[in-house]
Amino acid sequence: MRVVRLLLVDDEARFVETLSKRLALRGYYVETTCSGAGALELVGAKPFDVVLLDVRMPGMDGLETLCAIQRVQPLIKVILISGDASIGAAVEGMRHGAVDYVLKPSSLDDLLAKVDSAFEKKRLEEEQAGGTPAR
Amino acid sequence: MRQAVATGRVVSGRRSSGLLLLAAACTATACLPAVLALLVATRHPSHPAVVAVAAGLAVSVVAALVAGRRMARALAGLERRGDALCGELLRLAKPASLGEIAFSIAHDLNNPLAIINEEAGWLRDLLGESRLDNESVRREFAGSLSQIASQVKRSSEITGRVLEWAREQDRRGDAEGADVNEVLTATLHLLEPDLGRTADVRVVKRFDAMLPRAGLSSGDIGQVFLHLTKNALDAMKDTGGTLTVSTERAGTTIRVQVSDTGPGIAPEVRESIFEPFFTTKASGEGTGLGLAISAWIVRRAGGRIEVDTAPGGGATFRVVLPVRAAGERSGGSHAGGSTAVGR
Repeated sequence: MRVVRLLLVDDEARFVETLSKRLALRGYYVETTCSGAGALELVGAKPFDVVLLDVRMPGMDGLETLCAIQRVQPLIKVILISGDASIGAAVEGMRHGAVDYVLKPSSLDDLLAKVDSAFEKKRLEEEQAGGTPAR
Repeated sequence: MRQAVATGRVVSGRRSSGLLLLAAACTATACLPAVLALLVATRHPSHPAVVAVAAGLAVSVVAALVAGRRMARALAGLERRGDALCGELLRLAKPASLGEIAFSIAHDLNNPLAIINEEAGWLRDLLGESRLDNESVRREFAGSLSQIASQVKRSSEITGRVLEWAREQDRRGDAEGADVNEVLTATLHLLEPDLGRTADVRVVKRFDAMLPRAGLSSGDIGQVFLHLTKNALDAMKDTGGTLTVSTERAGTTIRVQVSDTGPGIAPEVRESIFEPFFTTKASGEGTGLGLAISAWIVRRAGGRIEVDTAPGGGATFRVVLPVRAAGERSGGSHAGGSTAVGR
Protein backbone atom coordinates (compact mmCIF):
# COMPACT_ATOMS: atom_id res chain seq x y z
CA MET A 1 0.00 0.00 0.00
CA ARG A 2 1.42 3.34 -0.99
CA VAL A 3 2.09 6.18 1.42
CA VAL A 4 -0.84 8.53 2.03
CA ARG A 5 0.02 12.05 0.94
CA LEU A 6 -1.49 14.58 3.34
CA LEU A 7 -1.75 18.34 3.19
CA LEU A 8 -2.41 20.02 6.53
CA VAL A 9 -3.88 23.54 6.36
CA ASP A 10 -4.45 25.63 9.50
CA ASP A 11 -3.56 29.17 10.49
CA GLU A 12 -2.33 27.90 13.88
CA ALA A 13 1.32 27.38 12.93
CA ARG A 14 2.27 25.32 15.98
CA PHE A 15 -0.75 23.07 15.52
CA VAL A 16 0.25 22.07 11.98
CA GLU A 17 3.88 21.73 13.00
CA THR A 18 3.30 19.31 15.87
CA LEU A 19 0.50 17.37 14.22
CA SER A 20 2.62 16.89 11.10
CA LYS A 21 5.48 15.47 13.21
CA ARG A 22 3.06 13.00 14.78
CA LEU A 23 1.61 12.01 11.42
CA ALA A 24 5.06 11.60 9.89
CA LEU A 25 6.03 9.33 12.79
CA ARG A 26 3.10 7.12 11.74
CA GLY A 27 4.23 6.81 8.16
CA TYR A 28 2.25 9.53 6.43
CA TYR A 29 3.78 11.96 3.98
CA VAL A 30 2.80 15.40 5.26
CA GLU A 31 3.15 18.93 3.97
CA THR A 32 1.80 21.94 5.79
CA THR A 33 0.68 25.48 5.09
CA CYS A 34 -1.02 28.17 7.15
CA SER A 35 -3.35 29.72 4.57
CA GLY A 36 -5.92 28.89 1.94
CA ALA A 37 -3.82 30.55 -0.73
CA GLY A 38 -0.81 28.45 0.31
CA ALA A 39 -2.94 25.31 0.09
CA LEU A 40 -4.05 26.14 -3.44
CA GLU A 41 -0.48 26.70 -4.53
CA LEU A 42 0.66 23.34 -3.11
CA VAL A 43 -2.31 21.43 -4.51
CA GLY A 44 -1.59 22.88 -7.95
CA ALA A 45 2.07 21.88 -7.75
CA LYS A 46 2.14 18.46 -6.06
CA PRO A 47 -0.07 15.37 -5.78
CA PHE A 48 -1.98 14.92 -2.52
CA ASP A 49 -4.55 12.34 -1.46
CA VAL A 50 -6.18 14.01 1.52
CA VAL A 51 -6.33 17.63 2.68
CA LEU A 52 -7.01 18.43 6.34
CA LEU A 53 -8.47 21.92 6.16
CA ASP A 54 -9.29 24.37 8.93
CA VAL A 55 -12.68 26.04 8.43
CA ARG A 56 -11.93 29.38 10.06
CA MET A 57 -8.90 31.13 8.68
CA PRO A 58 -8.26 34.80 8.02
CA GLY A 59 -8.31 35.77 4.37
CA MET A 60 -9.49 32.84 2.27
CA ASP A 61 -11.55 30.70 4.66
CA GLY A 62 -11.91 26.93 4.68
CA LEU A 63 -15.06 26.74 2.55
CA GLU A 64 -13.64 29.00 -0.16
CA THR A 65 -10.42 26.99 -0.15
CA LEU A 66 -12.41 23.74 -0.35
CA CYS A 67 -14.26 24.90 -3.47
CA ALA A 68 -11.08 26.18 -5.10
CA ILE A 69 -9.21 22.92 -4.39
CA GLN A 70 -11.99 20.91 -5.95
CA ARG A 71 -11.85 22.97 -9.10
CA VAL A 72 -8.11 22.28 -9.42
CA GLN A 73 -8.06 18.68 -8.17
CA PRO A 74 -11.55 17.16 -8.06
CA LEU A 75 -10.28 13.78 -6.82
CA ILE A 76 -8.58 15.08 -3.67
CA LYS A 77 -10.50 14.25 -0.48
CA VAL A 78 -10.96 17.12 1.92
CA ILE A 79 -11.59 16.72 5.65
CA LEU A 80 -12.60 19.89 7.47
CA ILE A 81 -11.20 20.80 10.88
CA SER A 82 -13.35 23.04 13.01
CA GLY A 83 -12.58 24.73 16.29
CA ASP A 84 -16.15 25.62 17.11
CA ALA A 85 -18.72 22.96 17.68
CA SER A 86 -20.93 24.61 15.08
CA ILE A 87 -22.32 21.85 12.96
CA GLY A 88 -23.38 24.53 10.45
CA ALA A 89 -20.00 25.02 8.80
CA ALA A 90 -19.41 21.27 8.70
CA VAL A 91 -22.75 20.61 7.01
CA GLU A 92 -22.08 23.44 4.58
CA GLY A 93 -18.66 21.93 3.86
CA MET A 94 -20.04 18.44 3.29
CA ARG A 95 -22.55 19.94 0.86
CA HIS A 96 -19.65 21.44 -1.03
CA GLY A 97 -17.93 18.11 -1.30
CA ALA A 98 -15.88 17.64 1.88
CA VAL A 99 -15.85 13.96 2.84
CA ASP A 100 -15.77 14.41 6.61
CA TYR A 101 -14.99 16.79 9.44
CA VAL A 102 -13.18 16.66 12.78
CA LEU A 103 -13.63 18.92 15.77
CA LYS A 104 -10.69 20.50 17.55
CA PRO A 105 -9.26 19.16 19.79
CA SER A 106 -9.62 15.60 18.56
CA SER A 107 -7.87 12.34 19.28
CA LEU A 108 -5.24 11.29 16.77
CA ASP A 109 -6.89 7.87 16.41
CA ASP A 110 -10.16 9.45 15.30
CA LEU A 111 -8.34 11.72 12.90
CA LEU A 112 -6.34 8.85 11.40
CA ALA A 113 -9.46 6.70 10.99
CA LYS A 114 -11.04 9.51 8.98
CA VAL A 115 -7.91 10.11 6.93
CA ASP A 116 -7.57 6.40 6.12
CA SER A 117 -11.19 6.07 5.11
CA ALA A 118 -10.95 9.18 2.91
CA PHE A 119 -7.82 7.77 1.29
CA GLU A 120 -9.53 4.41 0.72
CA LYS A 121 -12.43 6.19 -0.95
CA LYS A 122 -10.08 8.05 -3.25
CA ARG A 123 -8.20 4.85 -4.12
CA LEU A 124 -11.44 3.07 -5.06
CA GLU A 125 -12.56 5.99 -7.21
CA GLU A 126 -9.22 5.95 -9.00
CA GLU A 127 -9.53 2.23 -9.63
CA GLN A 128 -13.00 2.69 -11.07
CA ALA A 129 -11.75 5.56 -13.19
CA GLY A 130 -9.43 3.20 -15.04
CA GLY A 131 -6.82 1.82 -12.74
CA THR A 132 -4.26 4.58 -13.21
CA PRO A 133 -3.90 6.64 -10.07
CA ALA A 134 -4.74 10.23 -10.74
CA ARG A 135 -1.99 12.57 -9.61
CA MET B 1 -26.22 60.20 4.10
CA ARG B 2 -29.69 59.19 4.95
CA GLN B 3 -30.83 58.74 8.46
CA ALA B 4 -33.26 56.45 10.20
CA VAL B 5 -34.27 56.63 13.82
CA ALA B 6 -35.18 53.59 15.84
CA THR B 7 -38.93 53.23 15.88
CA GLY B 8 -40.32 50.43 17.91
CA ARG B 9 -43.14 48.07 17.15
CA VAL B 10 -43.24 47.32 20.82
CA VAL B 11 -45.41 49.66 22.86
CA SER B 12 -42.99 52.38 23.78
CA GLY B 13 -43.28 54.85 26.60
CA ARG B 14 -43.18 57.68 24.13
CA ARG B 15 -46.02 56.38 22.00
CA SER B 16 -48.40 55.61 24.84
CA SER B 17 -47.81 58.97 26.51
CA GLY B 18 -48.76 60.49 23.14
CA LEU B 19 -52.02 58.55 23.23
CA LEU B 20 -52.65 59.78 26.77
CA LEU B 21 -52.24 63.35 25.55
CA LEU B 22 -54.73 62.63 22.76
CA ALA B 23 -57.27 61.31 25.29
CA ALA B 24 -56.82 64.41 27.42
CA ALA B 25 -57.27 66.65 24.37
CA CYS B 26 -60.52 64.84 23.41
CA THR B 27 -61.86 65.31 26.92
CA ALA B 28 -60.97 69.00 26.90
CA THR B 29 -62.68 69.50 23.52
CA ALA B 30 -65.82 67.80 24.86
CA CYS B 31 -65.74 70.05 27.94
CA LEU B 32 -65.58 73.32 26.03
CA PRO B 33 -69.23 73.49 24.68
CA ALA B 34 -70.52 72.17 28.01
CA VAL B 35 -68.84 74.99 29.91
CA LEU B 36 -70.26 77.49 27.39
CA ALA B 37 -73.77 75.97 27.76
CA LEU B 38 -73.51 76.11 31.54
CA LEU B 39 -72.52 79.79 31.33
CA VAL B 40 -75.57 80.48 29.13
CA ALA B 41 -77.80 78.51 31.52
CA THR B 42 -76.69 80.53 34.55
CA ARG B 43 -77.46 83.75 32.65
CA HIS B 44 -80.90 82.58 31.55
CA PRO B 45 -81.90 80.20 34.34
CA SER B 46 -85.60 80.55 33.59
CA HIS B 47 -85.54 79.19 30.05
CA PRO B 48 -86.33 75.44 30.23
CA ALA B 49 -84.78 74.66 26.85
CA VAL B 50 -81.48 76.13 27.94
CA VAL B 51 -81.61 74.20 31.20
CA ALA B 52 -82.36 70.98 29.32
CA VAL B 53 -79.49 71.50 26.88
CA ALA B 54 -77.16 72.43 29.73
CA ALA B 55 -78.14 69.34 31.73
CA GLY B 56 -77.72 67.12 28.66
CA LEU B 57 -74.30 68.55 27.98
CA ALA B 58 -73.28 68.18 31.61
CA VAL B 59 -74.17 64.48 31.44
CA SER B 60 -72.13 64.00 28.26
CA VAL B 61 -69.18 65.83 29.85
CA VAL B 62 -69.29 63.47 32.82
CA ALA B 63 -69.51 60.53 30.43
CA ALA B 64 -66.58 61.87 28.39
CA LEU B 65 -64.53 62.37 31.55
CA VAL B 66 -65.27 58.83 32.73
CA ALA B 67 -64.43 57.44 29.27
CA GLY B 68 -61.23 59.48 29.19
CA ARG B 69 -60.11 58.15 32.55
CA ARG B 70 -60.89 54.59 31.52
CA MET B 71 -58.89 55.09 28.35
CA ALA B 72 -55.99 56.44 30.36
CA ARG B 73 -56.15 53.47 32.72
CA ALA B 74 -56.32 51.04 29.81
CA LEU B 75 -53.36 52.73 28.16
CA ALA B 76 -51.35 52.64 31.38
CA GLY B 77 -52.15 48.93 31.61
CA LEU B 78 -51.08 48.41 28.01
CA GLU B 79 -47.85 50.25 28.67
CA ARG B 80 -47.15 48.08 31.70
CA ARG B 81 -47.86 44.99 29.65
CA GLY B 82 -45.67 46.29 26.81
CA ASP B 83 -42.83 46.85 29.24
CA ALA B 84 -43.31 43.37 30.68
CA LEU B 85 -43.24 41.90 27.15
CA CYS B 86 -40.07 43.80 26.30
CA GLY B 87 -38.51 42.63 29.55
CA GLU B 88 -39.40 39.09 28.58
CA LEU B 89 -37.99 39.60 25.09
CA LEU B 90 -34.78 40.93 26.60
CA ARG B 91 -34.55 37.97 28.96
CA LEU B 92 -35.05 35.56 26.06
CA ALA B 93 -32.64 37.36 23.78
CA LYS B 94 -29.81 37.45 26.30
CA PRO B 95 -29.03 33.78 25.99
CA ALA B 96 -29.06 34.32 22.22
CA SER B 97 -26.32 36.91 22.30
CA LEU B 98 -24.47 35.03 25.04
CA GLY B 99 -24.87 31.98 22.84
CA GLU B 100 -23.07 33.81 20.05
CA ILE B 101 -20.32 34.77 22.45
CA ALA B 102 -20.15 31.20 23.71
CA PHE B 103 -19.50 29.99 20.15
CA SER B 104 -16.75 32.49 19.75
CA ILE B 105 -15.21 31.59 23.13
CA ALA B 106 -15.43 27.87 22.37
CA HIS B 107 -13.60 28.41 19.11
CA ASP B 108 -10.95 30.59 20.73
CA LEU B 109 -10.35 28.09 23.50
CA ASN B 110 -10.40 25.06 21.24
CA ASN B 111 -7.45 26.33 19.25
CA PRO B 112 -4.99 26.45 22.18
CA LEU B 113 -6.55 23.25 23.54
CA ALA B 114 -5.90 21.52 20.22
CA ILE B 115 -2.27 22.60 20.37
CA ILE B 116 -1.92 21.40 23.98
CA ASN B 117 -3.51 18.14 22.87
CA GLU B 118 -1.00 17.65 20.06
CA GLU B 119 1.97 18.63 22.25
CA ALA B 120 0.90 16.14 24.91
CA GLY B 121 0.48 13.51 22.20
CA TRP B 122 3.92 14.32 20.80
CA LEU B 123 5.47 13.97 24.28
CA ARG B 124 3.82 10.56 24.55
CA ASP B 125 5.15 9.66 21.09
CA LEU B 126 8.65 10.67 22.19
CA LEU B 127 8.38 8.60 25.38
CA GLY B 128 7.45 5.63 23.22
CA GLU B 129 10.64 6.19 21.25
CA SER B 130 12.52 5.90 24.57
CA ARG B 131 15.61 7.82 23.61
CA LEU B 132 15.27 10.40 26.36
CA ASP B 133 18.98 10.86 26.87
CA ASN B 134 19.31 12.02 23.27
CA GLU B 135 19.95 15.77 23.05
CA SER B 136 17.52 16.42 20.17
CA VAL B 137 14.75 14.51 21.95
CA ARG B 138 15.35 16.62 25.04
CA ARG B 139 15.02 19.74 22.90
CA GLU B 140 11.71 18.42 21.52
CA PHE B 141 10.53 17.84 25.07
CA ALA B 142 11.48 21.33 26.17
CA GLY B 143 9.80 22.84 23.08
CA SER B 144 6.54 20.99 23.67
CA LEU B 145 6.45 21.85 27.36
CA SER B 146 7.01 25.53 26.73
CA GLN B 147 4.27 25.43 24.06
CA ILE B 148 1.88 23.88 26.57
CA ALA B 149 2.69 26.62 29.07
CA SER B 150 2.21 29.40 26.55
CA GLN B 151 -1.06 27.94 25.22
CA VAL B 152 -2.37 27.73 28.78
CA LYS B 153 -1.47 31.42 29.19
CA ARG B 154 -3.28 32.20 25.94
CA SER B 155 -6.37 30.34 27.20
CA SER B 156 -6.38 32.18 30.49
CA GLU B 157 -6.24 35.48 28.60
CA ILE B 158 -9.40 34.44 26.77
CA THR B 159 -11.24 33.53 29.96
CA GLY B 160 -9.94 36.77 31.52
CA ARG B 161 -11.51 38.84 28.74
CA VAL B 162 -14.83 37.04 29.16
CA LEU B 163 -14.74 37.62 32.91
CA GLU B 164 -13.91 41.30 32.47
CA TRP B 165 -16.96 41.74 30.26
CA ALA B 166 -19.15 39.67 32.55
CA ARG B 167 -18.11 41.82 35.51
CA GLU B 168 -19.08 44.96 33.60
CA GLN B 169 -22.38 43.27 32.79
CA ASP B 170 -22.92 42.41 36.39
CA ARG B 171 -22.86 46.02 37.51
CA ARG B 172 -26.38 46.35 36.19
CA GLY B 173 -27.89 47.60 39.40
CA ASP B 174 -25.31 50.29 39.96
CA ALA B 175 -26.82 53.55 41.08
CA GLU B 176 -23.90 55.45 39.60
CA GLY B 177 -24.82 54.88 35.98
CA ALA B 178 -22.57 53.35 33.36
CA ASP B 179 -19.03 54.49 32.63
CA VAL B 180 -19.53 54.33 28.88
CA ASN B 181 -15.81 54.39 28.03
CA GLU B 182 -15.09 51.51 30.38
CA VAL B 183 -17.93 49.37 29.07
CA LEU B 184 -16.86 50.05 25.46
CA THR B 185 -13.28 49.10 26.31
CA ALA B 186 -14.39 45.81 27.88
CA THR B 187 -16.59 45.11 24.85
CA LEU B 188 -13.73 45.69 22.41
CA HIS B 189 -11.48 43.39 24.49
CA LEU B 190 -14.12 40.71 24.31
CA LEU B 191 -14.18 41.03 20.53
CA GLU B 192 -10.40 40.90 20.10
CA PRO B 193 -10.41 37.32 18.81
CA ASP B 194 -13.11 38.23 16.29
CA LEU B 195 -10.88 41.08 15.18
CA GLY B 196 -8.00 38.70 14.60
CA ARG B 197 -10.24 36.49 12.53
CA THR B 198 -11.73 39.23 10.40
CA ALA B 199 -9.87 40.34 7.32
CA ASP B 200 -7.71 43.30 8.40
CA VAL B 201 -9.92 45.46 10.56
CA ARG B 202 -8.33 48.52 12.16
CA VAL B 203 -9.90 49.80 15.35
CA VAL B 204 -9.92 53.54 16.03
CA LYS B 205 -11.02 54.71 19.48
CA ARG B 206 -11.88 58.33 20.14
CA PHE B 207 -13.01 58.53 23.73
CA ASP B 208 -13.95 61.69 25.56
CA ALA B 209 -11.95 61.29 28.77
CA MET B 210 -14.22 63.70 30.68
CA LEU B 211 -17.40 61.78 29.89
CA PRO B 212 -20.02 61.84 32.67
CA ARG B 213 -21.85 58.65 33.62
CA ALA B 214 -24.86 57.64 31.56
CA GLY B 215 -28.36 57.25 32.97
CA LEU B 216 -28.55 53.48 32.59
CA SER B 217 -26.73 50.43 33.91
CA SER B 218 -23.45 49.01 32.58
CA GLY B 219 -25.12 45.69 31.94
CA ASP B 220 -27.73 47.17 29.67
CA ILE B 221 -25.46 49.44 27.69
CA GLY B 222 -22.92 46.60 27.42
CA GLN B 223 -25.52 44.58 25.51
CA VAL B 224 -26.09 47.48 23.14
CA PHE B 225 -22.37 48.03 22.48
CA LEU B 226 -21.81 44.32 21.92
CA HIS B 227 -24.56 44.17 19.31
CA LEU B 228 -23.40 47.31 17.52
CA THR B 229 -19.71 46.39 17.43
CA LYS B 230 -20.40 42.79 16.39
CA ASN B 231 -22.64 44.04 13.58
CA ALA B 232 -19.94 46.45 12.47
CA LEU B 233 -17.34 43.66 12.37
CA ASP B 234 -19.72 41.37 10.51
CA ALA B 235 -20.24 44.10 7.93
CA MET B 236 -16.48 44.14 7.25
CA LYS B 237 -15.97 40.38 7.49
CA ASP B 238 -14.94 39.97 3.85
CA THR B 239 -13.51 43.34 2.97
CA GLY B 240 -11.74 44.48 6.13
CA GLY B 241 -11.83 48.17 6.98
CA THR B 242 -11.95 50.48 9.96
CA LEU B 243 -14.09 50.21 13.06
CA THR B 244 -14.35 53.62 14.67
CA VAL B 245 -15.77 53.91 18.16
CA SER B 246 -16.16 57.36 19.64
CA THR B 247 -17.75 58.97 22.67
CA GLU B 248 -18.49 62.62 23.37
CA ARG B 249 -20.66 64.74 25.56
CA ALA B 250 -23.31 66.87 23.87
CA GLY B 251 -25.16 69.01 26.42
CA THR B 252 -27.17 66.74 28.69
CA THR B 253 -26.53 63.73 26.47
CA ILE B 254 -23.68 61.33 25.76
CA ARG B 255 -23.12 60.46 22.13
CA VAL B 256 -21.56 57.13 21.24
CA GLN B 257 -20.80 56.34 17.60
CA VAL B 258 -19.93 52.95 16.16
CA SER B 259 -18.89 53.23 12.51
CA ASP B 260 -17.81 50.66 9.99
CA THR B 261 -16.51 51.02 6.45
CA GLY B 262 -18.47 48.03 5.18
CA PRO B 263 -20.98 47.97 2.31
CA GLY B 264 -23.57 50.07 4.16
CA ILE B 265 -27.23 49.25 4.65
CA ALA B 266 -29.43 48.94 1.57
CA PRO B 267 -32.25 51.54 1.43
CA GLU B 268 -34.93 48.84 1.22
CA VAL B 269 -33.91 47.27 4.52
CA ARG B 270 -32.91 50.42 6.38
CA GLU B 271 -36.37 51.01 7.80
CA SER B 272 -36.62 47.44 9.07
CA ILE B 273 -33.32 46.97 10.84
CA PHE B 274 -34.73 47.78 14.30
CA GLU B 275 -37.65 45.40 13.93
CA PRO B 276 -37.55 42.25 16.03
CA PHE B 277 -36.49 39.13 14.11
CA PHE B 278 -35.38 41.13 11.09
CA THR B 279 -31.96 39.97 9.92
CA THR B 280 -29.93 40.01 6.74
CA LYS B 281 -27.55 37.40 8.11
CA ALA B 282 -27.61 33.78 7.01
CA SER B 283 -29.89 31.54 9.02
CA GLY B 284 -28.17 30.42 12.18
CA GLU B 285 -25.87 33.45 12.20
CA GLY B 286 -28.19 36.13 13.52
CA THR B 287 -31.29 36.14 15.65
CA GLY B 288 -32.62 39.44 14.32
CA LEU B 289 -33.02 40.59 17.91
CA GLY B 290 -29.79 42.49 18.49
CA LEU B 291 -30.83 45.88 17.15
CA ALA B 292 -34.45 45.58 18.33
CA ILE B 293 -33.28 44.89 21.87
CA SER B 294 -30.64 47.61 21.66
CA ALA B 295 -33.20 50.18 20.50
CA TRP B 296 -35.53 49.16 23.28
CA ILE B 297 -32.87 49.35 26.01
CA VAL B 298 -31.76 52.79 24.85
CA ARG B 299 -35.29 54.13 24.43
CA ARG B 300 -36.27 52.93 27.88
CA ALA B 301 -33.40 54.93 29.35
CA GLY B 302 -34.71 58.00 27.53
CA GLY B 303 -32.19 57.87 24.68
CA ARG B 304 -32.30 56.95 21.02
CA ILE B 305 -30.35 55.13 18.32
CA GLU B 306 -29.86 56.67 14.90
CA VAL B 307 -28.16 55.27 11.84
CA ASP B 308 -26.39 57.03 9.00
CA THR B 309 -25.64 54.92 6.00
CA ALA B 310 -25.13 55.09 2.28
CA PRO B 311 -24.77 52.10 -0.04
CA GLY B 312 -21.07 51.40 -0.32
CA GLY B 313 -20.29 54.04 2.27
CA GLY B 314 -20.38 52.10 5.52
CA ALA B 315 -22.75 52.62 8.41
CA THR B 316 -22.64 54.71 11.56
CA PHE B 317 -24.83 53.84 14.53
CA ARG B 318 -25.20 56.72 16.93
CA VAL B 319 -26.44 56.06 20.45
CA VAL B 320 -27.65 59.14 22.27
CA LEU B 321 -27.89 58.55 26.02
CA PRO B 322 -29.01 60.87 28.77
CA VAL B 323 -26.34 61.91 31.24
CA ARG B 324 -27.18 60.48 34.65
CA ALA B 325 -28.93 63.22 36.61
CA ALA B 326 -27.33 64.00 39.98
CA GLY B 327 -28.87 61.94 42.77
CA GLU B 328 -30.88 59.83 40.36
CA ARG B 329 -30.77 56.06 40.47
CA SER B 330 -29.65 54.67 37.18
CA GLY B 331 -32.53 53.75 34.94
CA GLY B 332 -32.65 50.59 32.99
CA SER B 333 -32.03 48.15 35.79
CA HIS B 334 -34.80 45.66 35.49
CA ALA B 335 -36.21 42.54 37.01
CA GLY B 336 -34.84 39.28 35.72
CA GLY B 337 -31.94 36.97 36.31
CA SER B 338 -28.26 37.71 36.22
CA THR B 339 -26.38 37.43 32.96
CA ALA B 340 -22.99 36.69 34.41
CA VAL B 341 -20.99 34.12 32.52
CA GLY B 342 -19.46 31.24 34.38
CA ARG B 343 -20.36 32.10 37.93
